[in-house]
Amino acid sequence: MQIRVDFTPMVDMNMLLITFFMLCTTMIKSQTLTIALPTNEKVQNEENMSQASADDAITIIIDAKKKPGPTPGTLVVDSVNGNVVNEIYYYDGKPGGDGGMFGAGGVVLSENNNLKKSDLLSDEVNSVGDHKAQGIRKIIQDRNKDVLEKINALKKDLSDGKFGSLETKAEREEAMAKYNEAASKVRKDENLKKPVIIIKSTPEASYRGLVDILDEMQINSISKYQIDNLTDADRVMLDDYRKHHNE
Amino acid sequence: MGRVKIARKSTFIDMTAMSDVTVLLLTFFMLTSTFLSKEPTTVITPASVSTEKVQETNVVQVLVSPKGQIWLTMNNDTSAQWSNAKMRVELLDKVAEIYNESHKNKPVSFNAQQKQAFSKLGAFGVPLSQMGEFLSLADEPEGLTKMDQWLGGEDPNPNHKSGIPITVENSEDNLNEFQMWIKAARQTDNANLAQAMKDGAGVAIKADQNTSFEIIHMVMDNLQTIKQNKFTLLTALKAGDE
Repeated sequence: MQIRVDFTPMVDMNMLLITFFMLCTTMIKSQTLTIALPTNEKVQNEENMSQASADDAITIIIDAKKKPGPTPGTLVVDSVNGNVVNEIYYYDGKPGGDGGMFGAGGVVLSENNNLKKSDLLSDEVNSVGDHKAQGIRKIIQDRNKDVLEKINALKKDLSDGKFGSLETKAEREEAMAKYNEAASKVRKDENLKKPVIIIKSTPEASYRGLVDILDEMQINSISKYQIDNLTDADRVMLDDYRKHHNE
Repeated sequence: MGRVKIARKSTFIDMTAMSDVTVLLLTFFMLTSTFLSKEPTTVITPASVSTEKVQETNVVQVLVSPKGQIWLTMNNDTSAQWSNAKMRVELLDKVAEIYNESHKNKPVSFNAQQKQAFSKLGAFGVPLSQMGEFLSLADEPEGLTKMDQWLGGEDPNPNHKSGIPITVENSEDNLNEFQMWIKAARQTDNANLAQAMKDGAGVAIKADQNTSFEIIHMVMDNLQTIKQNKFTLLTALKAGDE
């Protein structure tokens, strides 16, 4: 005698359970980005304040793209994913350069406006597979050449096995630790010329823009950067830039 | 003319093998799954190249909605000494203590049932003046659904506010409730959490990518005022870039 059990209901039930577990789980753990901000307390002694020299400083301003025309203030939204579109501006040194943005009596000096527009773009990859930086990344990389050259040399050393073998997981971790230590030494090397980046954002710009720029800091091995508040001069420069470029 | 006879075959398919496969899959999902905790709002975190993994224990997570509402989650040690339930009760006591210092005419206090209810919450965030009423819901029939509605902003009672009160203007002498909660979390007995918060890994901000910078700045500024200068931002992994 043959006994046959029909497993179809069992499969049905299992499928339901699988669906339940699949929908309820998170497979990917979130990543984190650590940031350290300076204290809010006022520094009593002016001498203790570390000032970035104008040669090294780059200020990046993140702003939300707004619709031109009679309804200013309406934010442009990406038609595909519904995200707020951010724009990236930057200037070297002080706002308005050495002349400053304001003349006698608070007159805005448009000719001194040293604000430039840039873009957040990912690398252009050619047929051979070489990366070429574009937009704001290129600007940062040009300024941080000295550090990046050394970092790239270290990266090559790592892949050539100069920090130890990369065969097993334990060995790989050990090599990575050595590499990270060497890389952090290069990033903090005072003898290398490296920029100080000041990140500012208008209130309307989205949080994504901030994280994107913080990412650029990491990609380009920038050791000195800070998040700062938008000043009046920055605002004036943004308005002035828009006026002259019909935006 | 003879007809071609089509042999009648049984449609019975042996499902045993299929069942085997589904059971295997089910086992896999059961073992690998970590359940999504229920949150009052759904946010999509921005993508970043950072590969640092998020800390699961000893972390206070600040959930920020695009409208600027704030909820907190506190995950403690896995050890019994500093278990979640125990530390939650302590957190509530601490925050009530800090709150009552500045609200002498309207102090808040919680009874044992309310504390018990608080220790079971996931994300929390109602004004402290309404916290007692909120926690008492847990003992009512359908109370948990009502609590979820309250936190999600779907409560029929317009007086029931969701989100921890936070202000743009803030100072160390006049703390707002968000700062009180963070301070209280730092003062609980859990030394691991206190250390993690000092290092920055213990405070994580989870916000939607389209939240305006104004709101993020307000949260960061509030943290800076109470000398919580280091913290982490939760991000999703960006593929492609270096």
